[in-house]
Amino acid sequence: MSKIKPKRHGVLIDMTPLVDVAFLLLTFFMLTTQFKPPEEVQIELPSSNSQFKLPESDVMTITLSKDGRIFLGVDSQKLRRRLFGPENELKGSIEVPKERLGELLIQARTANLKLRTVIKGDKEAKYGVAEDVMNILQKTMITRFNLVTNLEQN
Amino acid sequence: MSGGGGAAPEPRKHGKAKKRKKSRRLGIRIDMTPLVDVAFLLLTFFMLTTSMSRPQTMEINLPPDETKVDVPESNLLTLFVNAKGDIFWSIGSFQSAKRIEFVKLRAFLKEQNTANPKLITLLKIDREGKYNTMVNMMDELNLANVTRFSLAPMLEADKALILKAQS
Repeated sequence: MSKIKPKRHGVLIDMTPLVDVAFLLLTFFMLTTQFKPPEEVQIELPSSNSQFKLPESDVMTITLSKDGRIFLGVDSQKLRRRLFGPENELKGSIEVPKERLGELLIQARTANLKLRTVIKGDKEAKYGVAEDVMNILQKTMITRFNLVTNLEQN
Repeated sequence: MSGGGGAAPEPRKHGKAKKRKKSRRLGIRIDMTPLVDVAFLLLTFFMLTTSMSRPQTMEINLPPDETKVDVPESNLLTLFVNAKGDIFWSIGSFQSAKRIEFVKLRAFLKEQNTANPKLITLLKIDREGKYNTMVNMMDELNLANVTRFSLAPMLEADKALILKAQS
């Protein structure tokens, strides 16, 4: 008489719900992801306690790099082509000389009136450049704009 | 073994003779592992690359170019920031300036604004100063509930004033 052995089942776990959830999440992330066009320069943002969020669309970004160069970018590809020519439409932002900035700002604003202007300056950028840009903005009647910052970590 | 319940595709070697011979139905099992692997790989990729939080912004309203507002001198608080980031302040006429630490600035601004609610703050930053300084200063002003402030270019006279205050 042999002892009754407990039978050994191959353990089968039903993976279906897991896979369902995985695919659900996958679809969600795939649909919500927007790929940013590559940045021309690396910007290290200053931090502040401001709570405003950056608007999602219709944004015109003026980037001030560490070495004092100015880049202008808009988020719609169509407008980029119109402003900077078809060869630059895939670039996120274009380096713009200070003298041409005002003219381009006006062009962009006439093309899309809803455009919001944001200044994205590097921490280490000189204040002088920012001052010049703000003067240009004031001259082109863009009196409301935002500064992009990180949330301050206390 | 006995309670196979129909679904189990176990091969029966000694099928009962009375039962009709059925064409055996095998439950089709597709190995889903590679599919799930790929799905999870993609899932991880998208989860890691998605940036959920949009950056913060600070809103600024400039007055239109032409507007000039006359402010009585006694209601004018000027903050100077030199290239190194040192902060100086003066109220009224630009005769003298005093130095103030950045950490004390918020309390100072609050105090000054409760003392004189009509106070207008003017921010003068050296062109050689850092952009970060400007953002920090504006942030302090916002935190101190000073909503009315303006930016002005720093003149040579202001620089001289700061130098005098430093010595």
